[in-house]
Amino acid sequence: MLGFVIQRVLQALVVMLVISALVFMGVYAVGNPIDVLISPDATQIIREQTIRAYGLDQPLWKQYVDFLSRLLSGNFGRSFVYNMPVLDLIFSRLPATIELTLAAVFGATLLGVPLGMYAGYRPDSLISKSIMAVSILGFSVPTFWIGLVLIFTFAVTLGWLPAGNRGDTATLFGVEWSFVTWNGLTHLFLPALNLSLFKFAMMVRLARAGTRETMLTDTVKFARAAGESEWTILSRHVLRLIAIPIVTVFGLELGSTLAFAVVTETIFSWPGVGKLIIDSIATLDRPVMVAYLMLVAFFFIMINLTVDIAYAALDPRLRTRRAS
Amino acid sequence: MSSQLLEVAGLTTRFETRSGALNAVEDVSFSVAEGEIVGLVGESGSGKSVTGFSILGLVDPPGRIVSGSVKLNGRELVGLSHADLRSMRGREIAMVFQDPSATLNPVLTIGTQMRLAIAAHESLSEAAATARCVDVLTIVGIPDAGRRIEAYPHQFSGGMRQRVAIAIALLNRPKLIICDEPTTALDVSIQAQILTEMKSLAARLGTAMIWISHDLATVSSVASRLLVMYAGRLIETGPIAAVLRQPHHPYTKGLLNSLPGVAEPGQDLVQIPGSMPSLVNLPEGCSFRPRCTHAEDDCTLLPAFTTEGARAFRCHHPLNLPVSASEARP
Repeated sequence: MLGFVIQRVLQALVVMLVISALVFMGVYAVGNPIDVLISPDATQIIREQTIRAYGLDQPLWKQYVDFLSRLLSGNFGRSFVYNMPVLDLIFSRLPATIELTLAAVFGATLLGVPLGMYAGYRPDSLISKSIMAVSILGFSVPTFWIGLVLIFTFAVTLGWLPAGNRGDTATLFGVEWSFVTWNGLTHLFLPALNLSLFKFAMMVRLARAGTRETMLTDTVKFARAAGESEWTILSRHVLRLIAIPIVTVFGLELGSTLAFAVVTETIFSWPGVGKLIIDSIATLDRPVMVAYLMLVAFFFIMINLTVDIAYAALDPRLRTRRAS
Repeated sequence: MSSQLLEVAGLTTRFETRSGALNAVEDVSFSVAEGEIVGLVGESGSGKSVTGFSILGLVDPPGRIVSGSVKLNGRELVGLSHADLRSMRGREIAMVFQDPSATLNPVLTIGTQMRLAIAAHESLSEAAATARCVDVLTIVGIPDAGRRIEAYPHQFSGGMRQRVAIAIALLNRPKLIICDEPTTALDVSIQAQILTEMKSLAARLGTAMIWISHDLATVSSVASRLLVMYAGRLIETGPIAAVLRQPHHPYTKGLLNSLPGVAEPGQDLVQIPGSMPSLVNLPEGCSFRPRCTHAEDDCTLLPAFTTEGARAFRCHHPLNLPVSASEARP
């Protein structure tokens, strides 16, 4: 198991290196940051000072090597636009995205899996059909549109919930969070709901398909023949048997939402990293882009690692195979 | 008949399918005494497994019991509430299935699965439940049960896995175990072992069994009485030795003739011509008529289930009847 983890961490380092190179080069394909950074009516002297200050007068390969050597000492560089260390910038925005993502993904899973299991257990009941209808909506209606409808309904028309921003925050573990204050929670609710609809729909589908299939197996028949209650069968047998695809999708969704909750963050003016990356692409803020995408790669690999470890915990057959 | 443990009378289980209603089990009546092992044989689709599931009240929709009665110790099971049926299952009648790698849950330890089966009927302390699991595992011949209880199904061999399934069926000390082809998925050598052990186990614990199989040879080595099913109906019943020696129904005779021991070595096995009719479209009268070499015009009327002493059959032209009995018939 330890060897497996080490292998994955090394893999993560390689992927992050490749990504940093790709992004570093790629920015020059998009445009020259100098054109964005320096006002067109700046004097030639200021222009050259600025270029030298950012190290942009060096050849590209030299800039990249310098970047890598700084990286070894943990320095990701400074943002061109905000003129502050990139990591500080990203970590100041990250908690907002983390709490939004966790609220959306956990909410979708905790609600979607039981409802999906019910829909798979009683596929012909009216409740199941309603659950499936909602899940079809969640799949097919675009996120930005639902976001606007939510704002229009709950913030503008009814005035129940705020339409944007994080609201009051409080410090927990040295980081500012919205979910620990009531006001912050009301601000979190709509964007989290918006973000979770698609994931909810997916969890419902997965749980329903798995449950339908599992209910027909001999495992369930045998448990019934032993006199176990339907509740025991669903909660102890079926849930464990359908867990693997659910955990897989959970991991994927967690990673992609953490990295790219852009649409929802923009609509609800949620000051997370999704908005940061879009802004930095628009301003060709290369250090932010490089560091951010490396961070995203790191997240994905760590989430995949966790998912793989979870597989082994969920299915003993995989444990033996890996050990041998 | 009050000493009977299980009495099934006129049991009919119907499936409403797109191509029409079919009776997977039709007018089946038999009884099982305490501690008795009854063999139920028939081809695939003859309704033997559905009979087992009907007794447990576990017929999957669209199937349902439309008539008849199943009495356990005189208590009617047909029409019981779901909750009453559930508390009966496992505690009074248990069932073992064909393929243990499909019936055991692959992601739970066998200990967890056994404790769930106990918890369905009694609230025992963790220690007491584990102690009972270890006891029962030892009874069915799992060595080192105390340690193996934390193992997963895939860590057992096929034969050991079926022993675990049998142990789960035994956990709540049921009076009757329905064994639905429990040895079919196993190696022949393991089959013989399990057969012998189940038989002595039943004798030791006084547990009655209904042994469902398509294999007459297997059944004849465990059961004392034989029930033969064809196309959803019982067509012959009786003490196993008598039925094997002198089958009354031509179908039973056909089954016996097709056993490998009957044919000369090197010769083809004897077959019953044709195949079992579709249950949706049964022939009029006796279902076996189109394949029967003894069929006559009167076979288009359904023969009644005729009792002759300890034996019974459903045929207008029975074979091997004692002379006095066949003369007495009109």
